[in-house]
Amino acid sequence: MSVIAAEKSAALQQPRPASRKRSMFNTIVGRALLQTGAVALLLLLWQFGVRIGWISDFLFGSPSGIYVTLLRMAGNGELLSDTSYTLFEAILGFIIGTISGSIAGLALWYSIFVARLVEPFIVAINSVPKIALAPIIILWFGTGLVSKVALAVSLTAIVALIAAYQAAKDADTDLQALLVSMGATKHQIFYKAVVPSTIPSIIATFRINIGFGLVGAVVGEFISSQHGLGHLIYNASSFYDLNTVWVGLFVLMLVGFVLYYVIDLVERLLIPWKVSSAVHQLQV
Amino acid sequence: MAAAPIQLSVRNIHKAFAGKGPEVRVLDGLNFDIHEQDFVSIIGPSGCGKTTIFNIIAGLIEPDAGNLVYRGEEVPSLRGQVGYMMQKDLLFPWRTVLGNVLLGLEMRGVDRRAAVDRAREHLHAFGLAGFENAYPKTLSGGMRQRVALIRTLIMDPGILLLDEPFSALDYQTRLYLEGVLKQAVETFNKTVVLVTHDIDEAVALSKRVVVLSGRPARVKTVHDIDIAEHSPIAARSDHRFAGYFRTLCGELDIQTEAKQPETTAS
Ligand SMILES: Nc1ncnc2c1ncn2[C@@H]1O[C@H](COP(=O)(O)OP(=O)(O)OP(=O)(O)O)[C@@H](O)[C@H]1O
Ligand SMILES: [Mg+2]
Repeated sequence: MSVIAAEKSAALQQPRPASRKRSMFNTIVGRALLQTGAVALLLLLWQFGVRIGWISDFLFGSPSGIYVTLLRMAGNGELLSDTSYTLFEAILGFIIGTISGSIAGLALWYSIFVARLVEPFIVAINSVPKIALAPIIILWFGTGLVSKVALAVSLTAIVALIAAYQAAKDADTDLQALLVSMGATKHQIFYKAVVPSTIPSIIATFRINIGFGLVGAVVGEFISSQHGLGHLIYNASSFYDLNTVWVGLFVLMLVGFVLYYVIDLVERLLIPWKVSSAVHQLQV
Repeated sequence: MAAAPIQLSVRNIHKAFAGKGPEVRVLDGLNFDIHEQDFVSIIGPSGCGKTTIFNIIAGLIEPDAGNLVYRGEEVPSLRGQVGYMMQKDLLFPWRTVLGNVLLGLEMRGVDRRAAVDRAREHLHAFGLAGFENAYPKTLSGGMRQRVALIRTLIMDPGILLLDEPFSALDYQTRLYLEGVLKQAVETFNKTVVLVTHDIDEAVALSKRVVVLSGRPARVKTVHDIDIAEHSPIAARSDHRFAGYFRTLCGELDIQTEAKQPETTAS
């Protein structure tokens, strides 16, 4: 489709938002300064509290201790290997779960009969806290990689399915009617009207699901694993090694952060016709 | 005009909608004919069922009774043979201007390159060259309407159903687009059925005007408009224009006394 080529030039045609007078902090650099400043302040207070004995080093760890641990674990490659385990499980689970869930949800559009038939089951499955399935999943899929991926899939698939089905149901019926008047087949209506109009909702689930992918991987590792950030955190906390726990948590945060922005990028590539609301939010 | 053969015959169409409470009888034995290369306007009070007729002809809803005869053959609907421009412009937001125009041709499986060439020609003729790659969101109302019109015309449909295509536009844009429409219809020899609230527009554009009564809709009268002028602006200054205008206002039970100063002014 020439739509791809079209996107580029359309992007060029996008008018720049008129720069208006803003506070000096409301720029990328200004915001970053404020954000790092706030984090630095928090860490300093924490360190200070530990130094004067108001905060227990044993129960809370300390920024300097975390730093030393981080350097050690980064140096001996332990951190990288655990992170890549967790990341791999989370992403694989996310991809499999989101894709299969979305496809199943979209497919339900085809038959109102089937959709009505399975709806109560979907609701029932959705109301079970999927984390509660973790022990069974580990029994079924073992203690290796597969069980973590399976757990991540079980968390993400149902979210994607419900979102995709709802979006397909909500797809503009006037656009579909227009295609019908043009003599479109059901397939054509599906591919030309229903699927494109569900893309924004499906991508919105990416943001939620990337988090669920991490939850699945980490919880799986809590229960039984030799590797991964979940294993690292769980293990360290049972030895009261709070500094290591924090290292694991911060790395998880960083991973979630990076993945969030990757999805932002994917969104911009996939739906250029939907101008990002973050940039074009109405200024009032 | 009467010499032209009948292209579409709407025969005794009934349609009722089940609402809360008693069902709403919208169409109650509606009959009218559309000739080959006709330009018929349908006017009638709001909510009388004009969009409903179009939906039935286009095959979006089924009538309770009655039938459609197209070029001598009884058909369930004209699905796939009509160019239906709905009350809203209904551009696909994820498609560029070009993508929107190509929609109908894609549906038919027309060769992509030929389709794009044809689309570019049309866009050029309608003053939209250079906007091929713009998304609908960035267009003005008049431009969106033009894109929707091209999308309808480019499929070369047997019959064009236009449901208040210009009602959301300012007068100036409307006059311009009426001209564009009239010219396009004459160049491509199209049959047009136009639903409008604007008596002025109906008289200026059509060969015939069908007046519907309020719900349930019946054909009250059919007027032949005999104005030789082709451009809608010139037609408005034709000496018979005011007469048609007044008659149609009377048909629609609009208070003609109050309207009279306006009629003579135009
Ligand atoms: N799907 C539907 N279900 C129930 N009632 C409907 C439906 N579609 C239309 N109606 C009713 O049928 C009547 C005619 O509707 P229609 O849209 O055909 O009117 P219209 O003549 O096009 O009006 P307008 O000029 O305001 O567009 C209205 O009273 C409307 O409430
Ligand atoms: Mg209507």
